[in-house]
Amino acid sequence: MNRVSLLAGVVFGFLVAAARLNDYDVIHDMLLLREPDVFLMMGSAIGTAAPILWYLRTHHWKTMEGEIDLRRQPVSRRNVAGAAIFGAGWAVAGTCPVPALAMSAGGSVLGVFVMGGLFSGIALRDALDTRSLRPLLRRTPPGATAKA
Amino acid sequence: MDILPYRVAWYIVGPLMGLTVVALFAIANKPLGATTAYAETLSAVVKHKARETWRVWMFLGMVIGAFAVGVLRGGPSLTLDYGLLGTLLPVALIIPLLFGAGVVMGFGARWSGGCTSGHGIRGMSALSPASIAATMTFMAVAVALTFALHLVTGGEL
Repeated sequence: MNRVSLLAGVVFGFLVAAARLNDYDVIHDMLLLREPDVFLMMGSAIGTAAPILWYLRTHHWKTMEGEIDLRRQPVSRRNVAGAAIFGAGWAVAGTCPVPALAMSAGGSVLGVFVMGGLFSGIALRDALDTRSLRPLLRRTPPGATAKA
Repeated sequence: MDILPYRVAWYIVGPLMGLTVVALFAIANKPLGATTAYAETLSAVVKHKARETWRVWMFLGMVIGAFAVGVLRGGPSLTLDYGLLGTLLPVALIIPLLFGAGVVMGFGARWSGGCTSGHGIRGMSALSPASIAATMTFMAVAVALTFALHLVTGGEL
């Protein structure tokens, strides 16, 4: 399984860098709606994967690790609140987790600082006592801990 | 070396990304995503243990894949470039800005349960309601804030 995920990572990292998603200007032009390429890329990725995954799920596809489970989750408030915060950081940095990693792997010194921030932000979120955020999380269904 | 074009077209990259997501699900029953890969890698480095080692391997794989593109493009070489943002701000300012933006992104993605890869591509492909809501939210916020910055800077950014 580790070999499969390593390989998936290699392919994904390669594709992100090959499409220049690790270039600030590419993401900035996307978010200024100056060119549709990155939206089309995401759309074609989803358009390719969604019907195949739907087929596999409805046919109870057997994987190495049991029947396929697409980890579909109901919407909870934290999905939206967290995404809004994430979107703000994305707009400023013009990069997100995989592209930041691809920047750094391509020799970008500043990409390493973005990655340092990402690690810190994740650690900060994990360190916070969940109870301190409970008022905001009131509508979270019990046990909903989506991983992505 | 010009083995790779300057920028590989969306209609090649997009479907291949989709197939990568499918392959990881169909073979290993695992959801592709970067945020948790960061979290597990951090745990592996700091605590010397990860709950899900496959995510650490995926993180390593992503580094290798992106590094390979650098090699195919004749590098990688160390650079302080950061596109348009790098031309507008001095390095002393851009470092704390990017670090801070990284903290904000990491915090938000962890709370949301995913980022552009985990929600935007993997979760959307699985038609997960949580991911659809998260993706619409971060897209809307990022586009709105980018336009706001564009206006505030008089069109410079």
